Amino acid sequence: MAAKPIASPISVALYPTLSVFTLAIGLVITAIFFIYETTSSRKNRSLGKELATSAVASVFLGFGSLFLLLASGVYV
Amino acid sequence: MAARIGIFAVVVAVFLSIPAFSSAQDLQIVNAERRIDLSSHIVKDFLTLKVENIGISPAAEMLLAFSPTQIKNLAMVQALAITGKKKKKTYLPLDVKPAEQPDAPNDTGYYRVTFVSPLGPGETVSLEVLYILTNSLEPFPVEITQSESQLVYYHDSAVILSPYHVKQQTTFVKTPSTRVESFTSIEPANRAGKEIKYGPYENRASYSYAPVIIHFENNSPFAVVEELVREIEISHWGSLQITEHYRLTHGGARHKGVFSRVDYQSKRSVSGASSFNALLAVLPPRVNSVYYRDDIGNISTSHLRTGFRKSELEFEPRYPLFGGWRATFIIGYRVPLEDYLFEASDGRRYLNFTFGCPLVETIVNKLTIKVVLPEGSKDPYAILPFTVNQDLQVKYSYLDIVGRTVVVLQKDNVVPTHNVPFQVYYTFKPIYMLAEPFMLVSAFFFVFVASLAYVHIDLNIARK
Repeated sequence: MAAKPIASPISVALYPTLSVFTLAIGLVITAIFFIYETTSSRKNRSLGKELATSAVASVFLGFGSLFLLLASGVYV
Repeated sequence: MAARIGIFAVVVAVFLSIPAFSSAQDLQIVNAERRIDLSSHIVKDFLTLKVENIGISPAAEMLLAFSPTQIKNLAMVQALAITGKKKKKTYLPLDVKPAEQPDAPNDTGYYRVTFVSPLGPGETVSLEVLYILTNSLEPFPVEITQSESQLVYYHDSAVILSPYHVKQQTTFVKTPSTRVESFTSIEPANRAGKEIKYGPYENRASYSYAPVIIHFENNSPFAVVEELVREIEISHWGSLQITEHYRLTHGGARHKGVFSRVDYQSKRSVSGASSFNALLAVLPPRVNSVYYRDDIGNISTSHLRTGFRKSELEFEPRYPLFGGWRATFIIGYRVPLEDYLFEASDGRRYLNFTFGCPLVETIVNKLTIKVVLPEGSKDPYAILPFTVNQDLQVKYSYLDIVGRTVVVLQKDNVVPTHNVPFQVYYTFKPIYMLAEPFMLVSAFFFVFVASLAYVHIDLNIARK
């Protein structure tokens, strides 16, 4: 019975590159979110836009920090 | 004719239904050769037996007898059946299990060996039995100074203890050096160089025992790990992290008097002959991030050689170990996941890892292996070729909510022959891997929502 080896869904060698890129994109979208917050006035602020931007930013930041932890050796 | 076969069948059926100990007198050992290897502190006995069935019915198994002290120190018993002749010999492993006999004389212990196929009346079978004894070399003198050599006693019987009649037997004892202070002489016994030969002895009755004591020099390193805790942490993101906590002692003659570093370093061949300062650990081939430290900090006296089939870590404790001295340290390393985690045909995942201690030629008095399964694993189940104590614990580690299941395997008296693969099965749904990034994502989202709330909430008292 040839056993099938199980490996990580993403190649381990990709972890550092992935962490850099996802964190960079996440930080850029965070910047967009905060710029929107500071430049818009109370009247023309749209909650939907804010929530959408923060959701996308948190997804990228969350995965980026996961890959950062994995790349630095803390295999969670 | 048919009536005779019928009567024979009834007699066989009646005989086979009688419990096993009644067949003790129906087997006979025609020829027995025993080789005892006393070169290291782990005593290895190789027994080559030629067993004949002198009864009238087939025998499916035979008993191996051990004296009460030997049964306590027995680490492993293995048996092989030899078929074929000369160059075409094949070895088949046989099932060996400890057995209880109600009428055992003088607290003899037994192991039952099951043959490949029942031995018919008049047939013979050749067996090779290996058994390993630990803590069987008793240092005498009990305490030695730095400049003395280590002498030990070995207690055994010149005649093989067996519940069967033994027609002819010989015992060869191999000592590590030519210095043998004394040995009990039971005619015919003689010594040539490093080998003592007891025998050949003819026609010894069952349960005959002739105690002998061999007093000889043994300066091999008596490395005994009192307690070893090995933690294997499985991470589905791609690695296996192994952390080993050792408590190492020198199990030979205790050191008395002073330790002179000058004598030790200048006259190394004479001073501290039985002490050891370096140990070798055999690690898996693709190992990385190896560390060797203790409570004080990192220990730099180590060399790692990675290889194709195995890696070797040669390390030295902070001081050489003399009799009775202890050293505590931690060795940790990481191996890639795909070498050890596999998927079974029924969808379950299993870890295939090596049991035992990676140190060569060491006895482990108490070994605990903890396999930490990732969060969300269910139905853990371990399969081992020998008996261990199994238990389940919970461990809380990075990004854990409910904790990780830990399979704890505990075994006493472990020798290097126990370094065989074992499997731990569990079920895991791959979707649970997303629980960790989801936790991080929700933490960041909470920060954003908090900043949104701060911006939107109007705390002015005056109305705009």
